[in-house]
Amino acid sequence: MTKEYWRWPGSAWASQDADWRRADRITAGVDVGTTSSQAVVLCDGEVYAYASIHTGADFRKAAGAVVEKAIDDTGMRMADIGAVAGTGWGSDHITFAGQILDEVLCHAKGARHIYGREVRTVVDLGGQTTKAILLYDWDRVRDFMMNDKCATGMGRNVEYLCGLLQVPIEEIGELSLSVSEDPEPVSTTCYAFADTETMGLFGRPEYRSDKMTDNEVYASHMFSIAWRVLGVIGRLQPPDVGDVKVCKELGFTGGLAKNPGVTKRIERELGVTALAGRYDPQLAGALGAALLI
Amino acid sequence: MNRFKQILDNHQEYAREWKKRVGGRILGYFDTYLPEELAYAAGMLPVRMMAEREPDMISAKWIYSSCYPVKSLTNQLLLGRYDYLDALVITEGCQWMYNAFEVAMNNKPDLLTHYLFFPDHTDAPTSKDLLVSELKVFRAKLEEWSGRAIADDALDNAIDVYNTNRRLLRKMYELRRMYRSVILGSEAMTVMLASQLMDKAEMNVWLEEYLRELEEREPYDDRIRLMLLGSETWSVDLEELVESLGANIVVDDLDNGASYCWNETVALKDKDMALALRYLGRPHSALKDNNWRRRPQRIFELAEDFAVDGALIAKQIYCHPHGLDNYAIWKLLRERGIPFHYFERDLTLPREETRLRLNSFFSMIRPGLTRLAGWHTPMTI
Repeated sequence: MTKEYWRWPGSAWASQDADWRRADRITAGVDVGTTSSQAVVLCDGEVYAYASIHTGADFRKAAGAVVEKAIDDTGMRMADIGAVAGTGWGSDHITFAGQILDEVLCHAKGARHIYGREVRTVVDLGGQTTKAILLYDWDRVRDFMMNDKCATGMGRNVEYLCGLLQVPIEEIGELSLSVSEDPEPVSTTCYAFADTETMGLFGRPEYRSDKMTDNEVYASHMFSIAWRVLGVIGRLQPPDVGDVKVCKELGFTGGLAKNPGVTKRIERELGVTALAGRYDPQLAGALGAALLI
Repeated sequence: MNRFKQILDNHQEYAREWKKRVGGRILGYFDTYLPEELAYAAGMLPVRMMAEREPDMISAKWIYSSCYPVKSLTNQLLLGRYDYLDALVITEGCQWMYNAFEVAMNNKPDLLTHYLFFPDHTDAPTSKDLLVSELKVFRAKLEEWSGRAIADDALDNAIDVYNTNRRLLRKMYELRRMYRSVILGSEAMTVMLASQLMDKAEMNVWLEEYLRELEEREPYDDRIRLMLLGSETWSVDLEELVESLGANIVVDDLDNGASYCWNETVALKDKDMALALRYLGRPHSALKDNNWRRRPQRIFELAEDFAVDGALIAKQIYCHPHGLDNYAIWKLLRERGIPFHYFERDLTLPREETRLRLNSFFSMIRPGLTRLAGWHTPMTI
């Protein structure tokens, strides 16, 4: 079978220490995104189990499958979950959810849980959308911006690129960081243009004469994604007067948050160091939904 | 409401049917700076060109990288959808539209065409006289096309019909301004767009009946009150999506929305001057506001008067005039504490993506009033 370079590994985890049967309240959050779906199960407000899978073409099936995967081998059944909240692009298809919550709020709430109360700017790097969210000191959204009608700078673009270049998706970010200096970014207006331009770099004289490496090609593309995301962050309402452009307490969420080729470049351009979290940042939406219900 | 909706949904049909019924000539126009009264007085029906969602087969050959409405207008013109037009006039509300006009001139030699120069510097000392001289040229062109002089009483009648239309549309805005509105944003915009397609005399009769209906109507529930800003609109799909989520657009500052009807022509002995003052004094489109930046102030005053909870800024992709004034408008809204959400669209509205962003915006500005789509009752397992 041909290797699927674009395919990131799904995940599942359940606590071996906690006993869900003793919990007074079990809640679950399900985030069905365009590219990936996550479920997080909480027992009395603590993370008990979670899973992350590829969504595929059937949102409804993905919603059920990701919950089943999270509670697999725990003895828990769907009926044991007291309340389910859904969010994400495919939230309308989560028919077993008692409540559908808006995803900006879910990501904000989830990020607070992952990164702690100090996080003020949340940048969700999703499969098809980028969201830059500014929070009040308390758990309310102060302002947010989303990308426009183009998927450049999104996880789906990186998946596609990795398939095209035949580079494993878990490695492309680190590889792109190994260059001594970032080359010019490729197009930032459209991901189809960016991919075409990236492929075009392999045909340039610099590449053919070994003056440009594969990693520099990857760096050029990752830099363009970072630029695109920076444009979204830059539209946020500055939280204060003066030169403050973004709250320094920044946390990334979404699948692309695990790509250092993108996140490190954003941090570098903003002059901040993103907070380190205690859970997988891809879980933020589902975690927030589970906390909010 | 249904008859206005039919006009909008079949926007070519009304003019075709009017031509058959009345036997008059039809003048198509691109932007809302055309002094329609002059054409109306010359016995022509001024009809706004309307962009449409459909596969674009032709425009890319002629126009590259313009906004989608202009591509659509070019496509429709070249496909012969506007074959009932006798004349086409541009007042250059934006340069892309001018390109579409030029393509039409080059490809439809039988079409009577006129470029009416409308000054960008609307407040400059010489603008009034300049526009008056342009109107005289336009008037002479209309007289040549129709083969008769535009009589004073015909122009008086046209001004009266158009002023009545503006007054009635303003009354509709007053009903939108009410604390619990009796009219939804989608209904109001349907009426507004239909009015740009119809004979105003007939439109006024319909509108009077409709306003009487509205006054009898029970008001809607308390909803999030929004203002719509940005590029011109061609359909009401955004308004309908907003309404499905528990909000309502109560006012707008669109070029073919409130700005179209906001001020009347004040009677003067010199009718050309009266028309020039009306069109120079109207709330301006982004392109005509580059020099004085009066739009931010107007937007704030509308927001205050209509007590909006927030603003939506929907810009057409590649709409340069509105891209250029974003900075001034964002700055104002932020300084005055008016929450807003900005996004780009084209003739299609990506429903899921827009729903998600609107949900988040509404729950940010007035949590609890948002009706999140898909509010399910738990399934029994």
